[in-house]
Amino acid sequence: MYRYDAIDKSVIEDRAAEFRDQVARRLSGALTEDQFKPLRLMNGLYLQLHGYMLRVAIPYGSLSANQLRGLARIGRTHDKGYGHFTTRQNVQFNWIKLSEAPDVLDALAEVDLHAIQTSGNCIRNTTSDPCAGATAEEVDDPRVWCEAIRQWSTLHPEFGYLPRKFKIAVTASAQDRTAAKVHDIGLVLRRNREGQLGFEVMVGGGMGRTPYLGTTIRQHLPVNHLLSYLSAVLRVYNRHGRRDNIYKARIKILVAALGAEDFARQVDAEWTAMDRQAVDLPDIELARIRGAFGYVPFADLPPVSGVFEAARKADPALARFARNNVKAHKVAGYAIVNVSLKAPGEVPGYGHSEVRVTHEQNLVLPHVKLDDLAAVHAGLTAAGLAASNINLASDIIACPGLDYCALANTRAIPVAQSIARRFAEPDVAESIGELKIKISGCINACGHHHVGHIGILGVDKKGEEFFQLTLGGSGAEDASLGDVLGPAVAYDQVTPAVDALVEAYLRERRGAERFLDTYRRVGLAPFKAAVYADAH
Amino acid sequence: MSLAALTASNLRDGEVVFWALGRWAPRFADAELFDDPELGQAALILAKAQSTVVVDPYLIDLELEDGIAVPTSYRERVRALGPTIHPEMGKQAEGGVVIQALRVHSGGARSSGRLGLIRLKK
Ligand code: SF4
Repeated sequence: MYRYDAIDKSVIEDRAAEFRDQVARRLSGALTEDQFKPLRLMNGLYLQLHGYMLRVAIPYGSLSANQLRGLARIGRTHDKGYGHFTTRQNVQFNWIKLSEAPDVLDALAEVDLHAIQTSGNCIRNTTSDPCAGATAEEVDDPRVWCEAIRQWSTLHPEFGYLPRKFKIAVTASAQDRTAAKVHDIGLVLRRNREGQLGFEVMVGGGMGRTPYLGTTIRQHLPVNHLLSYLSAVLRVYNRHGRRDNIYKARIKILVAALGAEDFARQVDAEWTAMDRQAVDLPDIELARIRGAFGYVPFADLPPVSGVFEAARKADPALARFARNNVKAHKVAGYAIVNVSLKAPGEVPGYGHSEVRVTHEQNLVLPHVKLDDLAAVHAGLTAAGLAASNINLASDIIACPGLDYCALANTRAIPVAQSIARRFAEPDVAESIGELKIKISGCINACGHHHVGHIGILGVDKKGEEFFQLTLGGSGAEDASLGDVLGPAVAYDQVTPAVDALVEAYLRERRGAERFLDTYRRVGLAPFKAAVYADAH
Repeated sequence: MSLAALTASNLRDGEVVFWALGRWAPRFADAELFDDPELGQAALILAKAQSTVVVDPYLIDLELEDGIAVPTSYRERVRALGPTIHPEMGKQAEGGVVIQALRVHSGGARSSGRLGLIRLKK
């Protein structure tokens, strides 16, 4: 975990104090709503369907146990006892009173958290790999670079009023757990043949009404130039982004309009002309940030745990949990445990007091001893959190939808719950295998439906909730955008339609193919026939 | 005959409120019903002047469900009830005939139930 220093702390404490004054002036009438709205949005406070919603930044999805407890306290004291983890690894509280919002910001600051830049046309929280620092796949710890980006972009005077919001993802593994290709900038850390670390820089990815996958504009950016190169990209965007039209203001539209080559040329020109030294992170500062992550005191353990192996043989539920939710760790004798939140409950304390939030709306305990796995599983079971369904059909991404969101066309969470119930039987879900279902309540695509193996988009059809299905999307390293299946289906037809799609897949599947692989091989036709058979 | 009500969000706590004869009520069941558009507009003008009490007041269309007035728009019914995934939360928790009418009424899923802004796709 990155540990705040005195400067980090004073920034968020000052900001909370400033907001307290702004709220007081709004309540007294000294500020009008028009004057106040941009100020509250800069602190992540939205007015939604039922009340104020506060979006709290979880820096690159990484939380200490103490911070998680701090969030839980806020949920209990200022909300109705729950929050929503978002597809950007943040958390949202849905019932915050404006009059109490300054107290909530103070409570966040106490545990080194804040809501700065969780809204508005600025650089938002950086997405990263929830397995960072734990997976053997990575070439470096991406959190170090995310933290450098966080410090550089927080309250950055030049990039506080961009044409639109701006999202960056950093991953350092071959397996992409960040959806990097659908971010404004996706950074993939790799070593070149000479062994030097560099970033593949992809720009112009995004979802919403005009989805694009990012295009690579630089194959290997030397890591020490990260901040100057990001500045160059943002300057080109800041200069040419379409401020005149909110639907065309994201960088993806600019990159598509200019063409990636021309865009890259302009970035290079800007970068060459820039005083890079003034922007790039000095080695000493990078070393300070790296050092501030501290050291996880891993024990010297054998790679196989006799305790765990015996427990796994004796307990089929634990065996299933290990199959689906437990991943390999870089250190012998440890494991990465995925905690599915697609079941209610609380998180117990294991894993070196660290918890990660995934963009798939689950949690990760990054460093659990194999010897402790059975106890962790028992604790999760007691808390109702042991669902062994990671990446299976019941592990669904859903945005808040019309149950909370002021922009929604339709609900999303109850649709996800209905589908999850259909595939609740663990043997059924496992026999289907990896199936990523993603649901958005409107075209803003917060539920990442464009990159779902099955994507579900809520639309309004003559005043009724309808849902458009897309197939074949992926937000992983094999990223693709889904294809529309056919006419939208009614609310109560979504689960039967997904069921029919799964049936079609099981008929067509060859060998160990995932749903996505089968779809890519056979195309839309058999799936279309399965869902619309009755209509034709 | 058109039927409308006036709604807003309470400034201090964000709660959904309804205009009820010059004050703001949290329950849709207590909302004043306007069958005369001019009366609705007059109330809206008064509401807009209360900027330290409410945020963003607007009129919503209503229609009848078994003789009980309910918002035409599904979005507005969700606002008047609370999240459908948490029936124990929000205004719906206390139940009653109006809550029941809001629940059973169908149609109108559009994101805006604002009077004069609803454009049903043909
Ligand atoms: S996708 Fe639409 S409905 Fe869902 S959270 Fe985003 S804006 Fe709201």
